[in-house]
Amino acid sequence: MKSLRLRDLSKTYFDPYAGAHVTAVHDVSLTVQQGEFVSIVGPSGCGKTTLLNMIAGFIPVSGGEILLDGRAVKGPGPERGVVFQSFALFPWKTVLENVGFGPKMRGLKKTECERIAREYLALAGLAHAADRYPNELSGGMQQRVGVVRALANNPDVLLMDEPFASVDAQTRMTLQEELTRIWQERRPTIIFITHDVGEAVFLADRVVVLSRGRVLKELAVPLPRPRAWDLLIEDAAFKALSGQVLQLVRSA
Amino acid sequence: MTPLLKAWSLYARWTARYPAVRAIVPFIPVVALWAMVAESGMFPRVFFPGPLEVVRSFGSLVYKGILPDYLEDSVVRLAVGAAAGMALGIPLGVLVGMNSRARAMLWPILLFFQAIGDIAWLPILLIWFGFSLTTMTFVIVYTVLFPVVLNTALGVRSVPLELHRAARSLGASRARVVWEVVLPGALPNIMTGLRNGLGYGWRALIAAEIIVGTSGIGFLMFDARRAGSVVEILLGMIVLGLLWYIVDGWVLAPIERATGQRWGLVTQ
Repeated sequence: MKSLRLRDLSKTYFDPYAGAHVTAVHDVSLTVQQGEFVSIVGPSGCGKTTLLNMIAGFIPVSGGEILLDGRAVKGPGPERGVVFQSFALFPWKTVLENVGFGPKMRGLKKTECERIAREYLALAGLAHAADRYPNELSGGMQQRVGVVRALANNPDVLLMDEPFASVDAQTRMTLQEELTRIWQERRPTIIFITHDVGEAVFLADRVVVLSRGRVLKELAVPLPRPRAWDLLIEDAAFKALSGQVLQLVRSA
Repeated sequence: MTPLLKAWSLYARWTARYPAVRAIVPFIPVVALWAMVAESGMFPRVFFPGPLEVVRSFGSLVYKGILPDYLEDSVVRLAVGAAAGMALGIPLGVLVGMNSRARAMLWPILLFFQAIGDIAWLPILLIWFGFSLTTMTFVIVYTVLFPVVLNTALGVRSVPLELHRAARSLGASRARVVWEVVLPGALPNIMTGLRNGLGYGWRALIAAEIIVGTSGIGFLMFDARRAGSVVEILLGMIVLGLLWYIVDGWVLAPIERATGQRWGLVTQ
């Protein structure tokens, strides 16, 4: 089992404006099992993006450690795929080349990269857009590419940093449903960062509420799958859970 | 108004069918005005020849083989100088753009030497290398280098951090990030640098040819001055303008259309 363990993870940095050290993440411990979908939710400034950037290896940790499959990780690596809020697609590569980028970096042959890329594009219903450039796609389509680009590299963990925050509300719901569908098909381990309580509950098996750099509470989400918005939006259990998380976030 | 509108619609249809028309039509009134002034007898013909005389001189110089030879000399010098300038400038720009220590060390030096204009080097170059190809090449490389370095560095730094991170988390090594992310991301700026560099380089070359003077378009013009041939001077000036038009229209603009504009990095 390739579980991801965060042990007493903390991040302190020097704020030149305040002239003092600030602790953004404070002794966070968390274990995510293989194939699990965990949402981390919290108000802005709670340290959730800092936490994700540490797991991704984009910024060094100040204390504690990150263990993937029992081994400490350092720096960015292909076993931890990342989906960015800003999509971060390569504008000079076609959709196909973007999705095939991970396999290409692994040193696979061009035909093999293309085959993998096409397979994942089909998974997201994007087969027709393979030869387009990112700037020719809508925001929703761009982020679909962002998700399958990360998945095509077959990472042990998929880290998603508010990936649907910059698309319109209707598209967002569609993307959330598609993500749960793809997750059920492929069962990647996902850590999903969001400030949207409904999104956190809708997607995850478990919701972690973060507040001022600490884990405030962890809640299991025992809602049945597959999940669809038109069913869940009136569902009593969903409403109760969302309400509970919302209260925690607002009290934070 | 109707005839004007009709003429405009004709122009629009013709330019749509033959894009070359767009490049030629605006010059018709300019040439016509030139011809009118020349024909009016306001100035002596020797000082102010008309378009036809220039065309005739063009024909004779092409026939004698002087113009093609000189043109080739100038273009080859520019191409070699530009290639060398880019070969030096792009890596240097990437280094300065990516490495803050290299930037701290090199930036003041770059600004200092950029300020010493290309032609300001000519006196010392003439002492060192004489009236030679080395002198001219040095001037062009020098002129092309700075716009390429400074713009490349700017372009490198304008690549969003997220793209670096995305590439790294997809398994790219630092070296591959340079090739796959930094260079294409900086390409629109590199093109701007190249455009400026070629423009300055072209001017510097003409100046160097006038001073160093063994062949080339600049030499042609200055030699014509010695012979008092205004026609050939005008011809040289027109060739300079035309050549830049061709470089821009056939080389630079197509590259820009196929890269930065296609990728949505620059607006048309």
